[in-house]
Amino acid sequence: MADAATLTVTKDPAPGAGPTLLRPSYDVLVVGGGIAGMESALTLGDMGYKVLLVEKEASIGGKMILLSKVFPTLDCASCISTPKMAATSHHPNVTALLYSEIEGITRDERGLFRVKLRRKPTFVDWAACTGCGECEIVCTVAIPDEFNANLVARRATHIAFPQAVPKKAVVDRFGTSPCSFTCPAGVKTHGYVSLVRAGKYEEAFRLHMEDAPLPGSLSRACYAPCEGECTRGTLEGTVPIRAIKRFMVDRYYAEHPVPEYGPPERLRPERVAVVGSGPSGLSAAYHLARRGYDVTVFESAPLAGGMLRYGIPPYRLPKDIVDRDILNITALGVEIRTAAPVRSLAGLKADGYDAIYLAAGTMEGARAGVAGEDLDGVTDCMGFLKRASGPEPMDLAGKTVMVIGGGNSAIDPARTAIRLGASKVVIQYRRSRKEMPAHDWEVAAALEEGVELQELKAPKRFVGEGGRLKAVESLTMRLGEPDASGRRSPVPVEGSEQTLPVDLVVLAIGLKPSTAPFAGELALNRNGTVKADPETLATSLPFAFAGGDAVTGPSMIVQAIGQGKRAAFFIDRFLRGEPVAGVRFEEPLPVADKAEVVARTPNPTPLPAARRAERPVAERVTGMAEVELPVGEEEARQGAARCLDCGGCSECHQCVQACPAGAFHFEMREQKAEELVRSVVVSTGFKLFDARRKPLLGYGRYPNVIDAMEMDRLLAPTRPYNTVLRPSDGKAPDNIAYVLCTGSRDCTVDHRLCSRVCCMYSLKQSQLILGALPLADVTIYYMDIRAFGKGYEEFFQQARGMGITFVKGKVGQVDGRPNGNLVVTYEDIEGGGGKKRMEHDLVVLSVGLQPNRDALRLFPDEPLEADANAYVREVDEDLEPGRTSIPGVFVAGTASGARDIPDTVLHSGAAAAQTAAYLKRMERGR
Amino acid sequence: MTASTLRDKREIFRDELVMRDRIAALLSGGPRTVPELAEALGRPSHEVLAWVAAMRRYGRIEERGKANGDGYFAYALKG
Repeated sequence: MADAATLTVTKDPAPGAGPTLLRPSYDVLVVGGGIAGMESALTLGDMGYKVLLVEKEASIGGKMILLSKVFPTLDCASCISTPKMAATSHHPNVTALLYSEIEGITRDERGLFRVKLRRKPTFVDWAACTGCGECEIVCTVAIPDEFNANLVARRATHIAFPQAVPKKAVVDRFGTSPCSFTCPAGVKTHGYVSLVRAGKYEEAFRLHMEDAPLPGSLSRACYAPCEGECTRGTLEGTVPIRAIKRFMVDRYYAEHPVPEYGPPERLRPERVAVVGSGPSGLSAAYHLARRGYDVTVFESAPLAGGMLRYGIPPYRLPKDIVDRDILNITALGVEIRTAAPVRSLAGLKADGYDAIYLAAGTMEGARAGVAGEDLDGVTDCMGFLKRASGPEPMDLAGKTVMVIGGGNSAIDPARTAIRLGASKVVIQYRRSRKEMPAHDWEVAAALEEGVELQELKAPKRFVGEGGRLKAVESLTMRLGEPDASGRRSPVPVEGSEQTLPVDLVVLAIGLKPSTAPFAGELALNRNGTVKADPETLATSLPFAFAGGDAVTGPSMIVQAIGQGKRAAFFIDRFLRGEPVAGVRFEEPLPVADKAEVVARTPNPTPLPAARRAERPVAERVTGMAEVELPVGEEEARQGAARCLDCGGCSECHQCVQACPAGAFHFEMREQKAEELVRSVVVSTGFKLFDARRKPLLGYGRYPNVIDAMEMDRLLAPTRPYNTVLRPSDGKAPDNIAYVLCTGSRDCTVDHRLCSRVCCMYSLKQSQLILGALPLADVTIYYMDIRAFGKGYEEFFQQARGMGITFVKGKVGQVDGRPNGNLVVTYEDIEGGGGKKRMEHDLVVLSVGLQPNRDALRLFPDEPLEADANAYVREVDEDLEPGRTSIPGVFVAGTASGARDIPDTVLHSGAAAAQTAAYLKRMERGR
Repeated sequence: MTASTLRDKREIFRDELVMRDRIAALLSGGPRTVPELAEALGRPSHEVLAWVAAMRRYGRIEERGKANGDGYFAYALKG
């Protein structure tokens, strides 16, 4: 053993074989940190063996630490457990690995055990965490507290329980919530939704600003991919995320007409030029300025905003919102030079800019190649929208307008034309409606407002007179074979020409990147977009980066904002002289599994879909007033309350800000580890019988039917309520019933064993109840009282002497009454026989212990044998307690059968002795 | 009280983050019991207890004195 204790981990020198442990790092692996695991580990540690104790929870202590008191002595369970926990934690020969799970244990030809471990990330530096609990108070995600038998909520950021050893915080993160994961700008969508839910509106706004500085524009005009991925969409409908954001932004902007902050400290000497003041350029400028750079934005148009200013009509995005958004950037000291077109990137470099972000956007309409395209009266969508939102919009009263195209860029000019007074507006599209790239709801809105849709039509020529458009000659199309995009190609129908008098044609067949000035100095793609590395956004010029629509082609504004943020990250690295290539930008946790999220709430309450209010059609077509109506505070919070908290933690980062120790590290990730050990003690404990499996007893249907673990929590000093209260309404109960043997000796639930503990713990709880509620009546319905241990019979007699009523009779049914009381129907065995009923105000189901089958899955190559009841089998229970079917593997405590605490401690000692004997035999070569 | 009135605990607990401000507003007018709060909020009393318990846990409210004659404690804003 002495050799083993000093053995160290070495690596397999064989090339290509990967790191392999050759010599044991521990004598014993103890699986599970409950009372059995702690007792075994301490005993073996005291003998001098090196012990690795692995516990899946964030604290050792198991179930015993959660109990109120222990029987028959009525000693405080915490008072007994915590010294053991502290001793285990500090024992020089015991290494406790918490918040870790074993993926598998295999035995090699030498009889050594190779243990594969998964260390779950806590997202908290435990060396720094002081256990102060400030993080719990500010956390915005409420989750059932399993350590309080789900009687009360805890937070996603939490300390396991007050006596936890170690008393350290962990963050429940099941993945990145789909809404946040899908956001191209990396906005922590779940975070701001949970902050709005919690009434923390300013914090929600500030969280958004960490990632994207144009929240007002996004709250109006984002196509909200987050909503498309929202798991709630699989129920009654998505969380109204964009409406929630709008509420958050409007409230903040109303209270803060100008930003709260000013220019940051100039941390960097370099200057950066941003070409284009659209969403991508503004985003890059913002993030660069926050990093301390001197940033100048060059904009060719008279006003800043790019697509936000000119491409999105005011009825979707009011321009005062754009103005306020832009203040978020200029408040940092960013200078925006308008009417300042850039002709050369090299020229900017020569002017003293150390790096350039080219975000020129796609502000030009594509040509259609149709005869008559140059006629007066034929324009493109960007030209039309720019003029429409400018100081001198055209008057279309009485005019017929035809918009050619089927994308979103066709819908905006059509709806704008309606608002400018056109008497007839037609969208002509060469395929059918279902092939239209535009969002269906946008098409529907346009149709509602009076826009006509000509499907399967395409212009053959634009007919003019005196250089002025007069009509459009169109052809009918039919759908042929699918093209490269998978969509069926439109094919002209011979002889189908029709002519419609038209005053204005708006070509909305695509947008072109505004990159022509840079063609001579920058590598461009054939379609005019900039060739840029998709990860780093680096271009063919070493000092120039490019992003947004100028690189991707027409996209979503949130995508452009994301590219700006990405560009700032890599430009910063470039300017610092750090490597750019091969570096990953933002690595969120994998997306949370939606199926798992839905399964967490198996019976969700049916709700109507969230309301989306719009201005009435008659009102909207008369001007540029915003179509979408805002939601109020109550509606925003209730909408946010629909959030299913897919990822657990919402990443609202309130804990990060509240932690006085700076202990939170959201970049932590799961770690895999491997250890080689000489023996294993399995102390994985038990599971409680799920009382829902006896539906007639009302558990899960009536709040005042609880199980005994819940009652133990109610009685514990760290109880979830201020005293023993019934869950239906907080009343201190005064007539409590215990139903013994719930799920025990019961073939209907395939559990034939006696629980061994429910008699005594019910006696314990009854006595404690009388201590807490001296006037209460307690009735115990039993089949038999097993008082088999030392002092147990006396304990029973003590209970009788305290006035607890014992009714020998099997309870068959529990029914609820409107006042929360419960009627217990039972078979009276000793009191005259027959079926009887009794009313109580709280019913406690004394559930039994069941095997924890997880133990049987620890050894994938060599099954750990189970007994007939699925407990770990002891091959010679009488003479060699604790020995299992696998040599070198021992079992301690309730993993091998139902036991009370004294028996568990005794059995764990026996298992430790067996383990020690085995190790000694190994050393001697036997 | 029937099965149909019980919601999933996850849903109930999530609602605390919205309901706690309404409960706090009610308690600003003086201590109240769970049934009194439930009546004022128009929500089931077992859900209100869950919210009250969480508010108490995280230091926003506390019980005042002993239970009344019907066995109910009154809760009040802390501090």
